[in-house]
Amino acid sequence: MSNRTTTVRAGRRARPVRRRPLWQRLGPLPWLAPAVLLILAVVVWPAAEMVRTSLRRIDTSGTDHGPAGLVKYHKLFDDPRLPAVLTWTAVWTVVVVGLTMLVSLAMAQLFNQDFPGRKVTRWALIAPWAASVLMTAIGFRWMLDQVSGVLNRLLLDLGLIDHARAFTGDAGHAKPWLVFVAVFVSLPFTTYTLLAGLQTVPAEVYEAANVDGASRWQTYRKVTLPLLRPAFLVALVVNLINVFNSFPVIWGMTQGGPNADTATTTVFMYMLRGYDVAESAAMSVVNFAVVIVMVLLFLKVSRWNEEEN
Amino acid sequence: MNPRFLLLSAVGVAGALALSACGSGSGSSADGTTTIRFVAADYGSNGQHPTQAYWQGVISAFEQQNPKIKVNLQVINWNDLDTQVKTMVQNGNQPDVLQTGGYADFAKNGLLYAAQDVLSGPTAIDFIPSMARTGEQDGTQYGIPFVSSARMFLINNALFRKAGLDPAKPPRTWDDVTAAATALKKAGVEIPLGVPLGKEEAQGESFIWMLENHGGYQDANGHYAINSQANVDTFTQLKSWVDAGLTEQSPAAVNRTDLTKDFASGKVGMLNGFPGQLADLKDMDVTWSAMPGKDTAGKTTLGVGDWVMAFKKGGHKDQIRAFLDFAYSKDNTVRFAKEYNLLPVTQSALTALQADPDEKALQPFLQVLPTARFYPLSDPTWPAVSAQIKTQIGSALTDPRKTLDALQQAAQQAGQ
Repeated sequence: MSNRTTTVRAGRRARPVRRRPLWQRLGPLPWLAPAVLLILAVVVWPAAEMVRTSLRRIDTSGTDHGPAGLVKYHKLFDDPRLPAVLTWTAVWTVVVVGLTMLVSLAMAQLFNQDFPGRKVTRWALIAPWAASVLMTAIGFRWMLDQVSGVLNRLLLDLGLIDHARAFTGDAGHAKPWLVFVAVFVSLPFTTYTLLAGLQTVPAEVYEAANVDGASRWQTYRKVTLPLLRPAFLVALVVNLINVFNSFPVIWGMTQGGPNADTATTTVFMYMLRGYDVAESAAMSVVNFAVVIVMVLLFLKVSRWNEEEN
Repeated sequence: MNPRFLLLSAVGVAGALALSACGSGSGSSADGTTTIRFVAADYGSNGQHPTQAYWQGVISAFEQQNPKIKVNLQVINWNDLDTQVKTMVQNGNQPDVLQTGGYADFAKNGLLYAAQDVLSGPTAIDFIPSMARTGEQDGTQYGIPFVSSARMFLINNALFRKAGLDPAKPPRTWDDVTAAATALKKAGVEIPLGVPLGKEEAQGESFIWMLENHGGYQDANGHYAINSQANVDTFTQLKSWVDAGLTEQSPAAVNRTDLTKDFASGKVGMLNGFPGQLADLKDMDVTWSAMPGKDTAGKTTLGVGDWVMAFKKGGHKDQIRAFLDFAYSKDNTVRFAKEYNLLPVTQSALTALQADPDEKALQPFLQVLPTARFYPLSDPTWPAVSAQIKTQIGSALTDPRKTLDALQQAAQQAGQ
């Protein structure tokens, strides 16, 4: 079907184009060129360079010892830590994005109500967004510290624990806190996006639902949620990519450690860079592929939804 | 996009090109002056005693004596130094002189001048022989020692007395350590024994404990032996201390800098210390002693050294020699060691510091320095292996055998 469309379009366009001289056909180029050059320079070239690096043999001094073929990919996939890193990356993305969306839906609903002090609370919500994520992460890292952390002090003074805990010391304890902080910093953006979506829902629709005798839950499910879909999808895809690529939260709190126990693929890539640039580039390529697959999947799913409606 | 934007971006690109051209300020100019590029590590902490100021002083004095040579200085902090130097080498833009933590991979790739090419006779023979030997790779010296440091066991006397222990009798064996740590824990000390196996300095902390059980990273033939029985036993012992709650809760996540701060605030009973702590501990009652060994007090300790090396690329051998001879004069080396509480690498500075009444605190370290053992610094795979040890060896506290086996395998694969 798409083939036919192009032929038709090309056929329709062909006549006027033939009459115009070449220099006129190139007319739009000066206007397009900066954007094209920009994309070539900041997207295509680094990506090509990344793939090239992953196929070289580069030692710790930075000296290039020639082509390595797929050796670095084999080395990467042989790393016993990789399966755990991949699993944790998937869990991390799903859990953080899921929780963020859920909590944000509720918070957007709250902030859409009229209540005294709404303005102030809306402003307050921006705070985690305005603060640098790395700063927030380092702040939490020290609040959770075993020796000087304020949380240990609080729990000790309240008599809830009998000795100080290292909340970020091992994966089991650290992971829930990492998720908590990641959700905390993702909430403002998501809530505001959903809030903007809620405000576009016209009041008449609710009136109609009311007249038809829909319950509150029915109204929310059958009216609010479908109308909120565009905003919801935007928030979802931005969060998915952001959280998947998230670096500062994990790096600021555990640096992916101990070992690579709390590292996602992005953090793991950074850890590899310390001793093997090429293997790190191979990890980047894998990461890049995953993001592209995620985007394609998302496009497919969102279009499928549209067709259904 | 409008033409004005185009113009602006063109100006931007041209500016960036001009800036990057300035960045590599090395070479000779028309009036016969030669500029050499010098990249050094930053030893200053908390913004005090910036290393930039030290080198600036040395350089302006040097340039006054040698009007034909200019030195272009760049001081980079330790966290970024390796990456930045790596990038310089990758881009073929290496400095003429580099001062950093290791030299082996540069030497292996034939990027460096031999030390004898860039040091005059009197400077070359002044180095402490064991130090100079550590700078050798395949019989030629490439690494020029810059400063050194050594580790000693450090005890908080007040906490020891509180636990009913005598700080004048520090633990000599691992059994003594167990007994002392148990007593400290009973007395309510938060961290009886500090074991910082976080990635900042895990390769050093591990090596010390390995050495006290006659283990190490390599065997006598220079082959990696990370998973030797001695090393597995060492980590089994460390694990038993961790499991008994005698250390901080998760040593694999604790970095040395943080733990030494906890020590300075009186929360740690004992740990492996280094002279850099002296400034923080000036008003504290502490004991420095020999490392406790598995069965007897340790006869050796970990020595670490930082290195100067000269790159061939710029071809400025004579200018580099002039600068290094000046930088290694006794006044300069003594001043640097005193400023940053580091140990000297030259005989003349060692003698001067031993005779210096102001440097009493440094004396125990100067004494153990000749017995110190170093990392396998001349092995070109060591930088990569060391980086992996830093992040992974903390896991050996959970499963010694498995972690050490994995590291041994990684070490054997390194450099392939």
